[in-house]
Amino acid sequence: MNHNPQSGDGKHDDDTALSDFLASLMEYTPTIPDELVEHYLAKSGVQCPDVRLIRLVAVATQKFVAEVASDALQHCKARQASVIKDKRDKQQKDKRLILTMEDLSKSLREYGVNVKHQEYFADSPSTGIDPASRDE
Amino acid sequence: MNKPKSRRKSNTQQETTPPGDFSFNITKVAVSQICKSVGFRRSQVSALETLTLVATKYLEALGKSAVSFSNAASRSQSNLLDLTNAIHDLSLRAGFTGASTLYDSNCLLKSSVLEGLSCFVRSTDEIPFAKPIERAKEREREGVKASPGNLQRGAHVPEWLPGFPHMGSNEKSKKRVNGEELWENSSSVLGCQIDVLEDKRNGGNGCKLAKKRTRVKFRINGVGKRMHWNRYSANNEFTQTKDEDAEAEYKNPVKSKEAQTLVFKRRKR
Repeated sequence: MNHNPQSGDGKHDDDTALSDFLASLMEYTPTIPDELVEHYLAKSGVQCPDVRLIRLVAVATQKFVAEVASDALQHCKARQASVIKDKRDKQQKDKRLILTMEDLSKSLREYGVNVKHQEYFADSPSTGIDPASRDE
Repeated sequence: MNKPKSRRKSNTQQETTPPGDFSFNITKVAVSQICKSVGFRRSQVSALETLTLVATKYLEALGKSAVSFSNAASRSQSNLLDLTNAIHDLSLRAGFTGASTLYDSNCLLKSSVLEGLSCFVRSTDEIPFAKPIERAKEREREGVKASPGNLQRGAHVPEWLPGFPHMGSNEKSKKRVNGEELWENSSSVLGCQIDVLEDKRNGGNGCKLAKKRTRVKFRINGVGKRMHWNRYSANNEFTQTKDEDAEAEYKNPVKSKEAQTLVFKRRKR
């Protein structure tokens, strides 16, 4: 397989767009810090001194997590819109937006991750204490 | 008076976690920041930990895939193409436009995944990580600076040996002989003029060797017998023959006149 990026007809446009994107990564700080990405990449054997590529990986991971989370949010909203219709306080609307395992496993299934979770965990020390303190 | 003490104790007990958990906890903070930016207000502990675990697995899978691509291209350092291939591999499950004709067009970097990433960068607000993280390398370097004697040599190297060459002067050897550069360092990516690069490439006569390579021989015990690597034998084993026989055996399959005249000249001598 020979992926030669420079032998295209419109290579000037692609190269300028790509270099602009890479240059914009230098100024953009992703939520996942560079040090963390470097750690995990080094753990799996990547040698990469370029900060832009580290940022690229960070942005890709951030996009992935954000997509999963927004899918879970849509699942959450859809589930609660079908159940609760009489109580429409804004406070409760904010409170209802909780990331639960149910929505997360539904959204992760679309990305190829099968999450099998138990209904009740007995091995965690914070399980039986207080349901209010369990939510972060 | 007793209550805060007990709280402190419980805090210290929670802090004594295995070292692998440090990176996991940092990822957890970052993932919860992302969840908050998406619109969640709260989260179950188990759900957040699951999402964090998936994120770390994603990072590791990305790295492993990139490493396998760069190793397949016989490189040790990963570049943009390897990472792009790795991101493609991981986003194939969800699918993206142009995935079926990804390798038909010559330009891998034209893909919609990279465009989506640049759109994401443009559209999403920056949410930097909550706290600065100290790099492990910096800590190590500070420790080395404290004892300058250990900068050049380790403890296992005896003192009477000469010092190692300075690592900073090693930059010349990083450049290749013909002035080639890695693609991601080339001027086309860095935004300079592309023509200069092409002129260089056309002007310099690329991979031709300056001198024809001669055959390598070596003697063992020197009494007219030589070890030859017999490349025409099917078994690929060392054969020990007399000098002229081996010469003839080596030259015959080539069947060029020049080679034969060379052999004759040698025999006349």
